[in-house]
Amino acid sequence: MKKVKDFITRDLTSVTEDTPLKEVAELLSLRGVNGIPVVNMKNEVTGWISERDLITSIFPEKVKFENPDVIGFSNLSQVVKKLTQVGHAMVKDYMSKTFYPVKEDTPAADVAELMLHNNLKRVPVLRNNRLVGVVDRASLSAIILEEGSLD
Amino acid sequence: MIVTVTLNPAFDHLLQIPDINLGSFNRAQTTTRMPGGKGINVASSLSILGDEVIATGLLGGQGCAIFEGMLRKIGVTTNFIYVDQEIRTDFFIMEEGKCRQTLIVEKGSPIELRYLNSFKSNFERLLSSVDMVEIGGSLPSGVAPTFIRDLVVAANKKKVKVVLNLPEDCLLECMQGTKQFIVYPDLRENKSMFGKDIYDPAARLGIIKELRKKDAEIIILKFGNLNYLVASKDEVWEGEIELGACTVMIGVRDAFLAGFIHKYQEKENLGEALKYGLGAGRSAALNNRNHPKSRQEVDEFYLMAKVRKVG
Repeated sequence: MKKVKDFITRDLTSVTEDTPLKEVAELLSLRGVNGIPVVNMKNEVTGWISERDLITSIFPEKVKFENPDVIGFSNLSQVVKKLTQVGHAMVKDYMSKTFYPVKEDTPAADVAELMLHNNLKRVPVLRNNRLVGVVDRASLSAIILEEGSLD
Repeated sequence: MIVTVTLNPAFDHLLQIPDINLGSFNRAQTTTRMPGGKGINVASSLSILGDEVIATGLLGGQGCAIFEGMLRKIGVTTNFIYVDQEIRTDFFIMEEGKCRQTLIVEKGSPIELRYLNSFKSNFERLLSSVDMVEIGGSLPSGVAPTFIRDLVVAANKKKVKVVLNLPEDCLLECMQGTKQFIVYPDLRENKSMFGKDIYDPAARLGIIKELRKKDAEIIILKFGNLNYLVASKDEVWEGEIELGACTVMIGVRDAFLAGFIHKYQEKENLGEALKYGLGAGRSAALNNRNHPKSRQEVDEFYLMAKVRKVG
């Protein structure tokens, strides 16, 4: 069975808790990814910030993101007010402190289960608590299909 | 773990052509496009040799994904700061009929201060997980050598070994009041340092003497295609390796450095490290790429290198 080390993307792109949300939005858009790890000064992962966190930071708390019908122009003034606040907000204000790390020797099947069970698209790969890369659904699917075709 | 810094990376675009007719239509027979820049070449070479390496620097534009993807494919971990400009392209034109190489490099645009600040913060974080940092290449437009010196100071504070692979002016600025593990002046343009001719054996020893005064632990000087002199505080070695008549020299000096670092970390033997560096340089030259073909090939070429202690 293939392990994380066989399909890891060895990229350390990350943000810190003090990174402005505006920069995160720019980074996610530029990279075309939906979330990135949050690290401390030792490159240890302390959380995860996703485009979902960014969107929920913009829309007023009473508006449920799960119900897009509710997000309408009636809330525009609230949205504008929130946008101004979010302009000054930092990652630590909206990041998820619950994240789902894997290790380089974690089997692909375990990663698949973790991702499906928690509806995750990307997860960080850690070694001694430090970030060494990420794995995403696309690379996971590719490696599982490759292994399936060998069988 | 080693981190290599390239503030001004570029795609190396190699065009192989029998003869160029200037002012006329020319068609390249072979083209190769690969990630380049001094630190990038060192990172690629170290990875081929089996070392764990992180490439960092400033990168931007639509070519990012291809650039990083090619590096990761050969095992390099990437950690770039993204800027709002396209990656440069350096063109290497190899005229096989005349055995002549022409290099055309793009200058690049100035970098905004916010990106440099992000880079510095990210670099300081990386220092907590590496043993050595290699800083190489030209500086982007508007970036002063003091910026590099600040990186060296940060590495010194964390007791991370520093390798400087820089042109003379920038190198000397960075050496002021800092500590370096390896100093490798890039003398390709001037062929001299401190006004001393690099091709004069006595002048080379003079350069070594001057650099030792500045507290460099190991000094590497390149003269000719693959002719090297390396010196520590106690000894001086010289060596060379044969190359074919018409070889592409992209990244050869960086591959040498990677080979040298790889072997020196393993054995702490200056002569052996010199030999291995020469093997890595030859492999890169014959590979038509800016890194060696394989570790196995470097292991073979290493045996062909001729080295001797000269002081």
